[in-house]
Amino acid sequence: MAEKNAAHLWLLRASYVMLALLFMFANLLPLKTTPQSWVGPDFLVAMTFAWALRRPEYVPMLSIAAVFLLADFLLHRPPGLWTLLVLLLSEWLKKRDRQVRENTFAAEWVTMAGAMFTLFLAYRMVLSILLVETGAFSLWAMQYGMTVAAYPLVVGLSYIAFGIRRTGPGETDHSGRKT
Amino acid sequence: MAYDRGTGDAYTGPLRRLLLVVLALFLILLFLVWRIDSPRVERFRAQVVDSVVPRMDWAMVPVTAGVNIVRDFQSYNQLYEQNQELRRELRKMSAWKEAALQLRQENARLRDLNNVQLDPRLTYITGVVLADSGSPFRQSVLINVGSRDGIVDGWATMDGIGLVGRVSGVGSNTSRVILLTDTTSRIPAEIQPSGQRVIVAGDNSAAPPIDFLENPDLVRPGDRIVTTGDGEVFPPGLLIGQVAQDPGGRLRARLAADYERLEFLRVLRDHGARRVESASGLILPRDLPDAGDPLPEPLPDEPNDG
Repeated sequence: MAEKNAAHLWLLRASYVMLALLFMFANLLPLKTTPQSWVGPDFLVAMTFAWALRRPEYVPMLSIAAVFLLADFLLHRPPGLWTLLVLLLSEWLKKRDRQVRENTFAAEWVTMAGAMFTLFLAYRMVLSILLVETGAFSLWAMQYGMTVAAYPLVVGLSYIAFGIRRTGPGETDHSGRKT
Repeated sequence: MAYDRGTGDAYTGPLRRLLLVVLALFLILLFLVWRIDSPRVERFRAQVVDSVVPRMDWAMVPVTAGVNIVRDFQSYNQLYEQNQELRRELRKMSAWKEAALQLRQENARLRDLNNVQLDPRLTYITGVVLADSGSPFRQSVLINVGSRDGIVDGWATMDGIGLVGRVSGVGSNTSRVILLTDTTSRIPAEIQPSGQRVIVAGDNSAAPPIDFLENPDLVRPGDRIVTTGDGEVFPPGLLIGQVAQDPGGRLRARLAADYERLEFLRVLRDHGARRVESASGLILPRDLPDAGDPLPEPLPDEPNDG
């Protein structure tokens, strides 16, 4: 039983990395080379936060750092800053999973929206202090709204495809410990 | 895993905290190094991109082609009207073709009389667009030619008609082209026929605004914008686009290159281009002692915008 659990754990950790690669791949497709007037949600961040809140053991620090650092390099962002902020915020969310777990979905959503807001605000502030071009504010605001709005979708899809849901009281984690 | 109070985590708790601190310090350091010495980190980025993106190519090409086929399919609805329009245009074009042929013959005769040699420096390498920047805030594309094919940072890229952007970041198999629409793109240009020098400054919109225009009265919508050789950024005389006025009255450049479908790009070989070797190599004039070539040491307090 324990072995099966461990295999399942590593399978889900691997699927996190694979999904992240898939999102990067989709972003890099050269479908639109003109500047866009609208922005879609940042699914990578939404998924990371959702999994960090619901099943922290599937998104260990090292995979988050590796995935986002690669994304920083590929997506032409200043390397390191976005990764750092996502890493710190996802650790904070992992700490809060116990409180959130016993609460409603709305509370979880609000927590995630707050984390997203901190992420975007801190990122833009650091970049503007260091005089790096950050892009139009309207685009950022739109991306924030879209990502928060897409959160239930991400949670729903993670549940359907991977069975990621909030652990209820009395459930055990991968090593058989009570949570 | 936030079970700090559990007994089994007596070891893992502090270890995790240590790992987090180490990772965070590493990321902060990386970001600061990027901010201070950006060319070096950008070279590293080019290598990372170079090793990752060509591996996605086998999947990217069919997916992109598939989506484009679907888009083309949608336009079949207007096929009949398009056909009619094309016929009309073709009739006009054949008249133009006749005129062009006559001009070409005349040109060849005149060249022959003058003994003109075409500039051998303006040869080009054609590359295929592999990927775009992947972020709505940056406008760049990756092309499948790199230092292996002799591409050098700073060369101009065009599609068949107009200027597309500037090579910035060369890996061995890929290189990144910063498009004119990117917020960091600044191209010295000249408006013809009035001959005024301007800067075409990208702002993440489809038509970049024209900056530093001395006398707007001499310019009217429709004038041609071409590059100048100023600052040795680009060879002179490459077509950028036409002047257009937006509803707010601001003059913008309507780009000649077809940004809707960037598929094949020409990278112009430009052996006169100044190479950026030190942090402030492009900003300072060459004859200053810290401008790059003679003494490659950058000033420590030099502002460096990556």
